[in-house]
Amino acid sequence: MVVTIDTTDARPLYQQVADGIKELIARGKLAEGTPLPPVRQLAADLGVNFNTIAMAYRELQKGGLIVIRHGSGSVVSSRTAAERTQAELVRPLRAALTELVLSGLSPDKIQRIVMRELRLAGKGGG
Amino acid sequence: MAFDPFRAIVCYGLFWIVRMNGCLRRARQPRLRGAGWFFDLRVPEDFYVTGGRTILRRYWMRIGIPFVVDIPIAAFIFLTGRFMLLPPLVLGLAALIHVNHVWSVHLAERQAQRLAVPDAGDPVARVALSLTPRRLRDYANGPLEWAMALSAAMAIMWLARVYTTSPAHLPARVVFGVPVTLLYVQLGAVLVKAIVVAWRAPAPLTQTAEHVDAREEKRKYYLRVCDAFRAAMTAAIVFWAIKISAPPASVAGLDRLWFAGYVAFGLAATVWIEIKRKQLVTLSLRARPVTLPDFLRQSELTRWPVCYQPSAPLLTLKGARGYSLNLANAFARAGVAYIAGLALLLVVLGSGR
Repeated sequence: MVVTIDTTDARPLYQQVADGIKELIARGKLAEGTPLPPVRQLAADLGVNFNTIAMAYRELQKGGLIVIRHGSGSVVSSRTAAERTQAELVRPLRAALTELVLSGLSPDKIQRIVMRELRLAGKGGG
Repeated sequence: MAFDPFRAIVCYGLFWIVRMNGCLRRARQPRLRGAGWFFDLRVPEDFYVTGGRTILRRYWMRIGIPFVVDIPIAAFIFLTGRFMLLPPLVLGLAALIHVNHVWSVHLAERQAQRLAVPDAGDPVARVALSLTPRRLRDYANGPLEWAMALSAAMAIMWLARVYTTSPAHLPARVVFGVPVTLLYVQLGAVLVKAIVVAWRAPAPLTQTAEHVDAREEKRKYYLRVCDAFRAAMTAAIVFWAIKISAPPASVAGLDRLWFAGYVAFGLAATVWIEIKRKQLVTLSLRARPVTLPDFLRQSELTRWPVCYQPSAPLLTLKGARGYSLNLANAFARAGVAYIAGLALLLVVLGSGR
């Protein structure tokens, strides 16, 4: 189970780590209760500051995707446990759709992109 | 184990046999990957007939430095008959050989850098980061751990019985000094295991499986070496308990038996290490070496052999002039505390003499 870090990606490292873990959870590759490596291990493996990984974990915790238990490590939380309103969940989608519309893509093309991404995100999971 | 001059000479002789093999292995190391490589550095095909020849020759001379140190000291020992200095010499040389090798490789690679093919040292853009937690207990051999713990506990209990019931009224330092030291040395091996488990493991996105396999096998190999060492320490504790309670007439026989076992174990371990090393080399050669991105800009963080960088989670940082031990790392602090504890233990055990 790996996340990919790309040095040419404009996103900051912590965001790439958080997004990578989110993707694995969405695809069902990281099931509920799966332990995640300690911050210290990931920071040392990637050779980055502790805060970089800690920020990624905090973001995942804020999104209700992981539970950080001090002393016993972090685990993937139940997907239903993420008590977020639909409005909260739709907000980033709306922002991304706005970006696509502003970039001049046709609604049909945008729909195809969204459907493809949806299929990719749900692959292996549900 | 009690050394007499004969045993000290045998140990030194065995050390020479083992080191010759290691020396040949280190000499072949630069060209293991073929003509277009110098260690893990991509070089032009004519590297070894042009500028690389001198770099290679200097590397070979540098790996011979331990012989330059060893031969005059050994000659002095043999001429003056102070054979009991041979075991410390072997220990010192073993450390020197490894430190000298790391330094020689680093220096040779740095010298070869200017002759490397363009872009050879450029870091890869994408790395794979494993999400599998690595803990010491994941790599522990349960039955072996139990066997070592029970054997050591039984030996200590037996020594406690000897201490309380022996008519000779042996001092506690004599009875427990050896097992306490050996247990402390074992603790050091556990610390080394923890460092090996924490050893960083990022991999490039190309040949990820090959890189991960090579790294994991190497990790397991070092952990097994540590366990074999710990098992030998436990055997020494058990032997000490047997020896101290044996009648004086049979002590010499027991010592001979122990020495024979020690030599047999050493030879078996050497053969096993050579076999494993060959397997590890085969695995390593399958994975094409790459340079991973340096997010911390390590060369800017350190210039000296030791540094203090609390923001860097690494035990060693690769600075511009070589590796630097990061004293802010928890393992470095544990290592310093361990060495201080060992010195204190030796002072306490030696103070009653």
